[in-house]
Amino acid sequence: MNRIDTITLDKALPRVFAGSEKEPPVRDSQVWLGHVEFDRPGRYLVEARSGAGKSSLCAFIYGSRNDYEGHILINGADISSFSIAQWTRLRCRSLAYLPQEMRLFPELTAMENILVKNRLTDFKTAAEITAMLDRLGIADKAGVEAGKLSVGQQQRVAIVRALCQPMDFLLIDEPVSHLDARNNSTVAALIDEETTRQRAAIIATSVGNNIDIKNFTVLHL
Amino acid sequence: MANIAWRLLRRNISAGQIIGYALANFVGLAIILTAVKFYNDLNSTYSGGNDSFISRDYSIISKRVTGLGDFLGQGENADFSTAEIADIEAQPWARRVGQFTAAAFNVYASVDMAGRSLSTALFLESIPTEYFDVSPRDWDYTPGSGEPVPVVISKDYLTLYNFGFAASRGMPQVSEEVIGMIPLRLSLSGAGRQQWVNARIVGFSSRLNTIAVPESFMTWANATFADGPLPRPSRLIVELTRPGDPGAKAYMEQHGYEVAGDKVDSGRAAYFLSVVTTVVIAIGAVISLLAFFILTLSIYLLLQKNRDKIHDLMQLGYSPSMVARYYYIIVAATNAAVLVAAVIVMLTASRMWDKPLETIGVTPASPMTAILTGVAITLLITLGNIAAISRKVKASWR
Repeated sequence: MNRIDTITLDKALPRVFAGSEKEPPVRDSQVWLGHVEFDRPGRYLVEARSGAGKSSLCAFIYGSRNDYEGHILINGADISSFSIAQWTRLRCRSLAYLPQEMRLFPELTAMENILVKNRLTDFKTAAEITAMLDRLGIADKAGVEAGKLSVGQQQRVAIVRALCQPMDFLLIDEPVSHLDARNNSTVAALIDEETTRQRAAIIATSVGNNIDIKNFTVLHL
Repeated sequence: MANIAWRLLRRNISAGQIIGYALANFVGLAIILTAVKFYNDLNSTYSGGNDSFISRDYSIISKRVTGLGDFLGQGENADFSTAEIADIEAQPWARRVGQFTAAAFNVYASVDMAGRSLSTALFLESIPTEYFDVSPRDWDYTPGSGEPVPVVISKDYLTLYNFGFAASRGMPQVSEEVIGMIPLRLSLSGAGRQQWVNARIVGFSSRLNTIAVPESFMTWANATFADGPLPRPSRLIVELTRPGDPGAKAYMEQHGYEVAGDKVDSGRAAYFLSVVTTVVIAIGAVISLLAFFILTLSIYLLLQKNRDKIHDLMQLGYSPSMVARYYYIIVAATNAAVLVAAVIVMLTASRMWDKPLETIGVTPASPMTAILTGVAITLLITLGNIAAISRKVKASWR
């Protein structure tokens, strides 16, 4: 598959909201039941209150959940028709995803958690990975089991892991929810640089603690 | 560090369960292979083919001769009708049925032996070549070629001559080789024609109690010398699907057929042995099948316990086959080890019965059939396991 240029939501709605289309949050949403196009290399910030379906949006686009109505299209193709092999390829080559719950393997060290992703494409060298960890102030934690790291440290490991692949779209679900302002800026700069270099789009979600990146197109979910 | 994914996926693997499975499958497989090898040894066709203990069983059947009816030409028919032959062919115990073709002309044989000339009236029959227990060279005849007609006679006739006639008459005893060198001359006559042909005894059959010539010769001779229509066959040779089948015996009795060349006792023993072997193989198969289910359940349990890890790896972009590959390797390695162990047991066990079997004249068969059986079963089990793993891993996709 070529690079992803557009991700389109066409009257998409989490199934959990079926029947409450006339009520908030669906009534006021700019995303659900609407027609939304995310273009590369745009930068989108999806803001919402808790429970409006932010994480669901990311999971739908990433193909890890399919409990929605309507259609989601990647380059015009309905993702509901994608095979497991197609998704596997997209996740290696085109779609990077940082889930809110991070999904690190607690029994592996921080470095192993990153390598288990990086070895799929060998996208980054060991030196580049160490440099990224160093920049986020957790290089000394590389050999520590992820389960023993603080949530903020885990979040930074998960961000580095998400950047260790070729990408067209970066889906980051609450990327800085556990970070202070200084770390927020460092993470934002790292993400900014990586996506700029790869000419990738960003879809970020936030309940208020916005990642510190300029020029976001803001959508209210 | 070599393979991080593998370190994740091997969590929760229970060595106890795998060893338990391996032992169970080993026992099952070892029983099956040993039984197969034992059966093959008994069934061995190495030494003289049909002299083996469990040989292919042939019965020569004819109708019972009652009184003088046939002799006077007014009794019931002693020959088999087309319908009767078809009925025998349709029986489940009959693999195939061959017909004896009798000569419908007069035959006299003369032989010069030790300076004396012997001459006798003779009968000839032919049966399809595939029913022979001996495979003489040059078992063919081209009419008009001048070559001697090859003849196979019953071993019993030679025994009868050597130990009955020759011994009492002061004639020399002869070996099979010597008989083969004696030139025979056959006088064929009928339909107003007469012709001498050379003949040579090329083999002795312990299965056929007749004087047999190639079908090609019989066809030519009957066409040339026969008066009127050819008689229907009065004897049939039946190859049984299973040695000593009781169904065949019951059928013969019911229809009043007589069975010649009947190896009743060895046939029964062979039948019993084949039943025992089947039972043993079935027991082994049941054990292996249960073992297979143990492993399948164990795999399901393992994959269920590791479901989150499998799911998360696939979220990172691992394909189901990449994840499943580690489990395939475990299963394949375990099954291969079990197969090797079972083959070793089979070979060791067969050593123990090689000697006693050789003393009763049975040469052990090649272990290849048993090994191939083991490979086939192992492949089947492994494929079943792999299918289960693949299904379960894919089920963890979302």
